Amino acid sequence: MDLISPIYIIAVSLGTGFFMGMPGKNLQRISFYLLMAVLLFNTAVSLQWLYALANQLTGPMQVFTAGFQPPFSINLLMGLNEAVITSMVNIAGLLGAVYMYSVLKKIGTGGQVVYLILLISLNVIVLSRDIFNIFVFLEVGSIATAGLIIFQKGIKAVSAGFKYMLASGVIAGLLLIGIIFIYRFTGSLNIDTIIQENPVFKQGALISVFLILISVILELKPFPANGWALDVYQASHPGFSAILSSVIGTANLYVLYKFSGLASETLFYYLSLIGLVTFVGSNLLGMNQDNARRLLGYSSVGQIGLLVAVLGLIPQANSNFKIIFFGLLISHYFAKAGLFWISGIVKKSGLKSWSALRKKPVLLFLFISFILALTGFPPFPSFFGKWQLVLELSAQGNIAAIIAILVGSFFEVVYLLRWAGYAIKLEPVSTLKIKWVKLIPVLLFGVGLYGAGYFVSQAIPYGNTINFIPLAIVAVLLLLDFLPAYIKNIISISATAWFAYLLFPDAGTLKIIFIVIFLVGGILTLIPGFYMKGKREGFYPSAMLMFGGLAQLIEAENLLQFFFAWEIMTIGSYFLIIRGKKSMIHAFSYMLFSVGGAYLILLAFGLVSMGNTGIGLELLSQIKYYPGIAMALLAVGFMTKTASLGLHIWLPGAHGEAESDVSPMVSAILLKAGVFGLILIMLAAGGEQNNYQWLFYTLGWIGALTALVGNLGAIFQEDAKRLLAYSSIGQLGYILFAFSMMSHMGWLTGFTYTINHFMFKAILFLAIGAIVLKLKTHNMYEMGGLIKKMPFSFIAVLIGIITLAGIPPLSGFGGKWLFYNAVILKGWYFQGAIVFFAGTIAFLYCFKLIYSIFLGQLKDNHRNVTEVSFWFLLPQYILIIGVMVFSARPDIILKPLGATLSNIFPAEQLTWNGTTALSKLGYWDATTIFMVIGIMFVILFGWLWFMSRKAQPVKQFNMVYSAERPERPELTHLSHNIYAGYNKALGFLVAPGITAFWSYATNFFESAGNFIRRIYSGNGQSYAIHVVIYTVVVFIIYLSTI
Amino acid sequence: MAIEIISLITSFVLMLIGLYGLLSDKNIIKIIVGFSLFDTGTHILIVTIGYLKGKTAPILDNAVGLTDVSQKIVDPIPQALVLTAIVIGLAVTALMLAYALKMYQAKKSLNIGDYKTLKW
Repeated sequence: MDLISPIYIIAVSLGTGFFMGMPGKNLQRISFYLLMAVLLFNTAVSLQWLYALANQLTGPMQVFTAGFQPPFSINLLMGLNEAVITSMVNIAGLLGAVYMYSVLKKIGTGGQVVYLILLISLNVIVLSRDIFNIFVFLEVGSIATAGLIIFQKGIKAVSAGFKYMLASGVIAGLLLIGIIFIYRFTGSLNIDTIIQENPVFKQGALISVFLILISVILELKPFPANGWALDVYQASHPGFSAILSSVIGTANLYVLYKFSGLASETLFYYLSLIGLVTFVGSNLLGMNQDNARRLLGYSSVGQIGLLVAVLGLIPQANSNFKIIFFGLLISHYFAKAGLFWISGIVKKSGLKSWSALRKKPVLLFLFISFILALTGFPPFPSFFGKWQLVLELSAQGNIAAIIAILVGSFFEVVYLLRWAGYAIKLEPVSTLKIKWVKLIPVLLFGVGLYGAGYFVSQAIPYGNTINFIPLAIVAVLLLLDFLPAYIKNIISISATAWFAYLLFPDAGTLKIIFIVIFLVGGILTLIPGFYMKGKREGFYPSAMLMFGGLAQLIEAENLLQFFFAWEIMTIGSYFLIIRGKKSMIHAFSYMLFSVGGAYLILLAFGLVSMGNTGIGLELLSQIKYYPGIAMALLAVGFMTKTASLGLHIWLPGAHGEAESDVSPMVSAILLKAGVFGLILIMLAAGGEQNNYQWLFYTLGWIGALTALVGNLGAIFQEDAKRLLAYSSIGQLGYILFAFSMMSHMGWLTGFTYTINHFMFKAILFLAIGAIVLKLKTHNMYEMGGLIKKMPFSFIAVLIGIITLAGIPPLSGFGGKWLFYNAVILKGWYFQGAIVFFAGTIAFLYCFKLIYSIFLGQLKDNHRNVTEVSFWFLLPQYILIIGVMVFSARPDIILKPLGATLSNIFPAEQLTWNGTTALSKLGYWDATTIFMVIGIMFVILFGWLWFMSRKAQPVKQFNMVYSAERPERPELTHLSHNIYAGYNKALGFLVAPGITAFWSYATNFFESAGNFIRRIYSGNGQSYAIHVVIYTVVVFIIYLSTI
Repeated sequence: MAIEIISLITSFVLMLIGLYGLLSDKNIIKIIVGFSLFDTGTHILIVTIGYLKGKTAPILDNAVGLTDVSQKIVDPIPQALVLTAIVIGLAVTALMLAYALKMYQAKKSLNIGDYKTLKW
């Protein structure tokens, strides 16, 4: 195959550059197009090499200039790596020029030539194998950079440029000294020859190796010697900042990659720790930024730091090195360029002004995609890169590095998602005018990012086991987002049904329960969507992301599939939760807990994979290293989703403020994902006689206390949805407690609670949500007397709370019966008593709920309200049928479930005699109870009705009001603050101590970051001093590692 | 003292003086002068590295002759390198001065401490 030699990239560019510089008005008019032509040519050359090398149509090519061998000539190498990097450089260069069309036109030929020179220099430093040549073009690149910085007018850009020149001048000096000494010791300037000479083992050459490596690292802006770089990111033209972040960083990183052979592997490992420090430090400081471009600068520095770390942490001989490195790099490349470009469209620098994106759905979508790519969510390349990175580091046993990476990533998530929240939620203050030339590059990079994500997923081990169909459905819904809501709802319901249909045949009893909860529940909670008018932009893609994730969770057979599904579900639920009017902050805290939990899970999966082959889920039962820690991490990770005590503070706001049909989704369904995870690890722990008794004992206590605190919190709420949200915390506490018993009866209880909570919480949240939608208030004291207006809702809520409170004959009672058996058999009396006490508290809030809303006095402004929408009632009544069936014939589910559980917990089983359940302690016949109470109810009700037919109906105000003088409107409602007495007695238990703890932790990190970032004093000279001090400090550490 | 030792010491002394000026002087012009000194120091270092005792400049003319060239001249590569380095140094210095001018025009101050609008 005949390919154009890479030397022509340089030759043609240089020639064109000189030609463009010639005088002549006509030339100036066409110079921009000349520039575009040559950039297109360069892109084509590097892409053809990429194509040929990737398909092995040709081998790598060495170019020797002037016909000599090195060191007398400069030689270039075009291999696969170089082809990838130069393609990245040239594509971004080309699109960057398109983006900067107007500014390049305005500045004229001179500026265009400088831009071209920058791109030549980047190509050369990637291709060249000559160390001095690389130095020269690094310098050329620096000079061009300094020229391009002042494309942006104003003193900010000028002073940033000067700071940059000072720092890079010092760095260049260090590099030059290093180069001349390495020549002195090896007699060559060719990297390959130098590496063969092994300079690191030569007396005296060590310092030259050090100087070369440290100066390249300094070019990569290590924390904290990087103040100069941050200013440049902030002050430059966004089009140039994009190039600076995505392309210059990439090329410099590749220089470090080429030079890494100079040092021994151990030495380079230590140097790479600089990258880790940078990743953590820079992201810590990023949390305090409110200027978008400076924030992106911090994030860029952090990402490059992570990549430096990867170079040293993962041996380059490792077969997965490239996919990790390029996976992370390419995410950064696409996302950072895209974000800087968008920043030029938004124009305003404050993070909050990015809400202007809200009115441009395409741009908002791209923005969020880039943010998610940076934070390492699926399906982006960084997700797979980070995943594999964690596995490789685990294989090495380098847990400390994993922790550092996860901590840094977490900081990054904090500020990037806060920003995303602003863009999604805040009221737009300005409108954007978008030029096509600026949109096209962003759009193409967005497409590239998704494409790269798929490509990388297929390249990592086991990546091909991931099912992309749910994501494809989400993509279809995104494309159809312009359609009316009901059409998209039909599509979503069909898709959810189809997932269920696909999953059902292979599932065992345990999985079928979750299929019903996740997917049948999904369909039921989607039905109210038919009530919603308009388009409901973004709702259906988010919902399907969540349900798709949940479906994949059930389907998962290996750790990667599980984690992928977990993250997909998390993003989907985040976008659902944030839709509520006041949900910005709550969705954010939900996300922080979720991401924190996900990282613990990832760390644990790393531990699980240590010393094992493969990544099948069955490894959870054969953990070789630190099994206790791994299990505990997993448990805590899953408990962030079940909102267990300590990790629960996000839930009331997130569930309470969510939209009416979202609350049941996230409460009745999503919480069970955490339960699913807990069951997974408990199954892996293996039966009653497992090695983790201490863990499950602790979890039992946490469950019991969660139940108490959640229920106590619920009784003091005046907001109906928050009451239900706190109740969810409490109920999930029961569930955690029951499963933690790790016994046959305990698990039967746990499943019964899980199924019950799914049904009654969906009923209650649907009913209350519909009422809230109708009355436009959450406050219960603003409701009252709605029983006659909304009889169907009243019946649904009544059945819901009877189930919740565990009153016979409904299935909640069955749960209680099983619970007492389990507690007594297990002997957890004290914890059991707490849970029992919590159960009595549940009566209080159940009463408050139904009384405040449906009984009492009707409010004046509600005289004309009517029953809620049919679309909300339909799923409620379907679920009521479910409750009735489960109440009358629990054996339909519990019998096969018991049979399955007997494989895991053979001891102390529940036996069945027809519909009568027999335990060691007694018997329970749900069917008979149901019938008896049903008949009694009908008789009593009939009798009451018969007796009251002569009663005289009383008008609402035909009564005497007591002597109280209400001072505030809510005080006229009898049930306002109805449990004040309990608050006095037990309120200290729900005092916001845990919230205070978390806000203390947040403040600690923010003020630490705020303190540290003061070293970036703004003085260019200080930045140069930082560079020198940094070099000296690293040198001292370097000496000590030899 | 041998000439290579002298020039080696000179080069390092120059570099350190330059670096000191660059890092300590508040005046932007003096900072640039410091940078220039630092740069010159590295150039002298490069030449020193290529120096071989008793040999002449690597210019092939009648004085050297074309026989046994490698025995007569110093290492030509550092000489080539230093030329490039000087050119680069010149460009960087020129650009720095251009920046200094721009900064002065904007704020009428040459104190580097006055250009701290961007920070943290």
